[in-house]
Amino acid sequence: MVEDWFPVLLSLRIATIAMLVVVPVGLALALVQARRRYPLRRIVDALILLPLVLPPSVVGFFLVVLLGRRGPVGELLERWLDLRLIFTPGGAVVAAAIVALPILVKTAQPAIEAVPADLERIGRSMGLAPLEVIFRVTLRVAWRGVLAGIVLAFARATGEFGATLMVAGNIPGRTNTMPLQIYAAYERGDDAAALGYVLVLTLLSVAVVIGSSWLSGDEDLPR
Amino acid sequence: MSAPAIEARLRVRVGSGAGTFHLETRFDLDAGILVLFGPSGAGKSLTLQALAGLVLPEEGHLRVGGEVLFDSSRGIHVQAHRRRIGYVPQHHSLFPFCNVTQNVAFGLPRARRHANDPRVRTLLDEFGLTERAGAHPQTLSGGERQRVALARALAVEPRLLLLDEPFASIDHEGRAPLRRAVRELLEVHSISAILVTHDLDEAYQLGTRVVRFERGRGVEEGTPDEVLPHPQRA
Repeated sequence: MVEDWFPVLLSLRIATIAMLVVVPVGLALALVQARRRYPLRRIVDALILLPLVLPPSVVGFFLVVLLGRRGPVGELLERWLDLRLIFTPGGAVVAAAIVALPILVKTAQPAIEAVPADLERIGRSMGLAPLEVIFRVTLRVAWRGVLAGIVLAFARATGEFGATLMVAGNIPGRTNTMPLQIYAAYERGDDAAALGYVLVLTLLSVAVVIGSSWLSGDEDLPR
Repeated sequence: MSAPAIEARLRVRVGSGAGTFHLETRFDLDAGILVLFGPSGAGKSLTLQALAGLVLPEEGHLRVGGEVLFDSSRGIHVQAHRRRIGYVPQHHSLFPFCNVTQNVAFGLPRARRHANDPRVRTLLDEFGLTERAGAHPQTLSGGERQRVALARALAVEPRLLLLDEPFASIDHEGRAPLRRAVRELLEVHSISAILVTHDLDEAYQLGTRVVRFERGRGVEEGTPDEVLPHPQRA
């Protein structure tokens, strides 16, 4: 079974921190894409979806190029904030956030689109400012779809492997998340060590599938 | 001669590119119910949304109760939530996550959002909803739903009420008593209303004045007798 709990806790910590960024950014994107019609909407839609479609190694490569010490973002982060992301848990957070973001947006967006626009109009006419309408009307009707998106995105962030390996490496005691630990154990032929983490990730995934299916199954929307 | 309580001159652009067309409307109302009458697709509902501030007109002028809410030449556009104009649509009129009381109290300050608030209690009573105060929208009839929607719109004390075919989803027998109740309650609360309908009987029963709409334009304005075809000849 699991002897070293560090990878489990690290994976959960990385996914949790990633979600602190993914939830507000993803919800804002889902709201804009669901409710606004603007010229570049389709292109923005494609860009949001891209990390979901690209092979993880390609996402990882782009991130290394961007966040590396000589990359356009990495150089600025190091110069201004003395922050290095490559081969750090911070890099793993960025990789997890990038791959989790499209899952949240693409699950929450249809739930928001299904909220009748008349309900939002009524909210405005009753004195609610636009942001109040989002929290008191839109998200209260669409909460199941939004929560399902958050749960799925968290699961994706926890299980992220390819991009994390390229950006954060597999440094024991520092960046060895559960998926990386499974890979390393398998590589050295230690199936028993891999199995514990496989079980933890499988249980988490089963819980997520059941949870998201329950959440998206019974909308209390007028049809 | 004093200025009318509501004065509207609005031009709204609809669509983009080759499919663009313009809605144009102009009317004055001192008190009572103004009916926007015309066939579906004539631009009545979009006109209501422009009055509510939910759609930005291309140009024009709107004054309600002495306050200019929109004036393209002076760059004035008061946002929808600051206009104090109530809006009741035909469908999806109730918040599905609220019971009757919570729906009626929805727009009130947080401390007043409960069944014991005097205004909520009065409105539930006036609209015959006291017995259904705890019921959820899914369990209400069409007539009950629209009564809740009207009570909720009145709860925030609007200076003008916009009604977008509010009786269309109600069965024929239920419409007449609800129309009477709405007319009486608007008089009791001294609130003017603009009602969208394509129902001739409704326009006659409720309209103080009528604007007849055709293909995006208000083509005629006057009393119901002046503007509408006679019900028996129509």
